[in-house]
Amino acid sequence: MTTTARLAGAWKTFGGVPAVHPTSIELRPGVVGLLGPNGAGKTTLLRLLSTALAPSGGRIEVTGLDVTASHANRVQARRRIGYCPQEVVYPRGMTAVSFLDYIAVLKEWKNAASRAAEVRRVLDLVHLGDRGAMKVSKLSGGQRRRLAIAQALIGRPDLLILDEPTTGLDPEQRASLRGLLSGLAGTVLTSTHQTEDVSAMCDRVLVIDDGAIRFDGTVPELIATAAGRVHLGPSACAGAVQTWKTGTGLVRSVGGQPAPDSCVVDPSVEDAYLLLRSAGRTRQGVT
Amino acid sequence: MSWHLEEDTWAAYAAGRLDPVAEASVETHVSGCPQCRNAARSTVPAAHTTAIWDAVRTSIAEPVLPAPLRLLRRLGVPAHDLVVVSAAHSLLVPWAASVGFAVVAACLVGLTGLGPADRDATFLVLAPLVPVLAVVLAYDALDPLREVGQVTPYSKLRLALLRATATLAVAAPATLAVGLVVPGMQDLAFVWLLPSLGLTTTALALLNWLRAAAAAAIVAGAWVGVVGFLRYGGNVLLLTSAPAQFAAVGLALAAGVLLLMCTSTLRLQGGHR
Repeated sequence: MTTTARLAGAWKTFGGVPAVHPTSIELRPGVVGLLGPNGAGKTTLLRLLSTALAPSGGRIEVTGLDVTASHANRVQARRRIGYCPQEVVYPRGMTAVSFLDYIAVLKEWKNAASRAAEVRRVLDLVHLGDRGAMKVSKLSGGQRRRLAIAQALIGRPDLLILDEPTTGLDPEQRASLRGLLSGLAGTVLTSTHQTEDVSAMCDRVLVIDDGAIRFDGTVPELIATAAGRVHLGPSACAGAVQTWKTGTGLVRSVGGQPAPDSCVVDPSVEDAYLLLRSAGRTRQGVT
Repeated sequence: MSWHLEEDTWAAYAAGRLDPVAEASVETHVSGCPQCRNAARSTVPAAHTTAIWDAVRTSIAEPVLPAPLRLLRRLGVPAHDLVVVSAAHSLLVPWAASVGFAVVAACLVGLTGLGPADRDATFLVLAPLVPVLAVVLAYDALDPLREVGQVTPYSKLRLALLRATATLAVAAPATLAVGLVVPGMQDLAFVWLLPSLGLTTTALALLNWLRAAAAAAIVAGAWVGVVGFLRYGGNVLLLTSAPAQFAAVGLALAAGVLLLMCTSTLRLQGGHR
């Protein structure tokens, strides 16, 4: 399978503080989930790949072009990238169509007729086809989020980078977005806090913490790291990373020493993520 | 409903052969008769109605351009360039800032009772900087879509020049008007234009390396230094002399060449789309 993007020892610091440590990963077609806590370096990693940020060192390739080598390579690569930042601030007075029309022009769609067709296509993809003439300020939060995703889809990019795309979407809209993303042909890299999004649509998951990739594998491989370490019983396990009382009245414990009468249960992506986070904190000496 | 439209009535209606009374009767009936509406769908080819609906949707979705942009369209400015200019909501701020700056310049020069030398120096400091301020604000400040636009292949130089042209269209005449209406300033009304061209182009060139605020500060600082030096060390009206005006043109040309060398292209690519 061809490589869409590659980080080769790329790293980024802000004012001497490392945001992303030297990282080497390859992205191929499919949906890749980027999971991590706030401040872990998710957005910085996405911005590096989107060419919005230049790395402090190392090399980044997108569709075979070294975007750190020259401005010309960056421009060429940007033709194949769709990027939806965590927050899009819309200019006042724009309609959904005029906003997408503007972004389409910035993506070099010169011809008015084909641009209009492309704008209609992406509006329909995010189910906003009947909202095109509405002012963006009149759209709901979820509709504005979908509009932000629509702009990233213009031109059928090979590499689609989405920063927290499901924020502000209701369950039905999230399910619809999963359907859309999993049906795309190229490579989708999406950051999220929602572990259920990862298990529902991602072929591969990257867990980032403190600026470093802690896990890189498939969803079943991530879940397997927690096998035998999640228990359900009448009482909490000693030393567990997280415990909570379930709807049945039993206590679910992630990690720790098995309590008497507890039994091992199948772990979830969230369990595996919590255990990875705990291991990371232990490595750093944080309790 | 006690009656329904016959096929030949539909054909006459679709062809526009019915008289106004009969046409109104058909429309009134159809609006209340689902059976006839269904019959209409089978009478008119789907491709025909799809084309009509597409045209209706496009006309609804297409924003009505403001008068200056309609004028630009008549002058032959490409539609995609108009989209960029009309999308720059942030231009409102530079426009307001530049006009406000020009008014402040007028107040300082005309209303504060300065002597002729100080009055000339004040005008020659402020007037050329109005377009610089407008261009820099238009390029960078308050662009809500900067992060989205930054990762597109669109030439940032082209974006800057389009916005600069739009803002200069307001800033330059405003400053010119100030020069013409303020008493005693008529002699200087035009001499700031070439220095301003040089300073504005230099600011645009500096945007390749510096943030907008830094580029504006450097250009403004240098210009204030030059005018201040001439005011207190020589004659500020030297700036109006032919050599100084040629020097301003030279600065504009040099900065323009630098701009072209430092940016990939002025051309909007992707002609296949």
